[in-house]
Amino acid sequence: MEINDKDTLTIVEHIKNFARRHSLFVLAYGTGCGAIEIPPTMTSRYDAERFGIVGRATPRQADVLLITGYLSVKTLKRVIRTYEQMQDPKYVIGFGSCTINGGMYWDSYNTIKVLDQYMPVDVYINGCMPRPESVISGFIKLQQLIKAGKADGWKKYQENLDWYRANQKKVIKNWNMPDYNW
Amino acid sequence: MSDRIQDLQKSLSEGLPQCSVEIRRHGGVELISSKENLVGVLAYLREHFGYRHLSHISCVDWLEQNQFELVYILWNYESRIQLFVKVRLARVNGSGISVRHLWPQADTYEREIAEMYGLPFDGNENPRELILEDWDNKPPMRRDFDTRAYSKEAFYDRPGREDAKDVRSVISGRSGEEIPEIAIPYTRK
Ligand code: SF4
Repeated sequence: MEINDKDTLTIVEHIKNFARRHSLFVLAYGTGCGAIEIPPTMTSRYDAERFGIVGRATPRQADVLLITGYLSVKTLKRVIRTYEQMQDPKYVIGFGSCTINGGMYWDSYNTIKVLDQYMPVDVYINGCMPRPESVISGFIKLQQLIKAGKADGWKKYQENLDWYRANQKKVIKNWNMPDYNW
Repeated sequence: MSDRIQDLQKSLSEGLPQCSVEIRRHGGVELISSKENLVGVLAYLREHFGYRHLSHISCVDWLEQNQFELVYILWNYESRIQLFVKVRLARVNGSGISVRHLWPQADTYEREIAEMYGLPFDGNENPRELILEDWDNKPPMRRDFDTRAYSKEAFYDRPGREDAKDVRSVISGRSGEEIPEIAIPYTRK
């Protein structure tokens, strides 16, 4: 990002992004098999906390939502609810081939295949399952995107809410959740 | 072990002449019952043969014969011999009989079978949803349910490459990485 001395807003934004990328609070919520790679990433061997990646218990305190694997339609409903409760700015990381193209559940009757049809994804990490190294490299990629001001999935979600909603309602038949609007 | 299994088979065939009893696999005895006798047979096994534990109820879809087969897997803590009680039911408009009064945990398995195979259980009417949510299609574990066609229609597909080329060198080239020596022999041409 260019720092323009005259444009204080840019500087403020720059400082904000600096702060944001060094304190990524991750919601402790796991779907699919991938959540099993989170404990080794967080604990002493790989120690993700040295990058400012910390776990958080509730969506309203978290910045990053990890989708750690396949999402069944039933879970998707809860994930959308969780995502909408998180405060801006918020980022989504998709873990593993299941979130990218369905992975080994590509012909399952009950799991969605492409996550970015239903919610904005900032970074995908491939692998089945990605190892802690690639998880950390995914986080660093996210930090670079935040630094460049390009991790703006949450803005896209607000702008294209109708498109996302239509996709979500296509698979979630009984939509009995509050309709947020920004 | 096998002596005890043969003894069990003998005493089971004497005690339950209306059922066929066979030793099917190592450590397991199979007992085939009819639908009418099923609850009586299970209660008898529970009271007189020490089969106090119901491990599982499983369902097999015999599409070609137009039948469902329920398999009740029972366990005896004393003799440590597994028993499979099988019963065939009509696939169309058929129903099983609930054994919730014998084993309360049967409720879970019956709900699952009712949901996944669409097989109702007498005595367990209107079971709540167990795993699926708002499912309005054919029960998904039936063999005539085409899961691939369903998922193609219901969920978006990400278009991918059609060829099977090895793209590792391209991908590693993007970040200036090199494929390690040990991996080179496995590179697809
Ligand atoms: S990508 Fe692999 S490890 Fe991850 S959720 Fe899917 S099947 Fe499981």
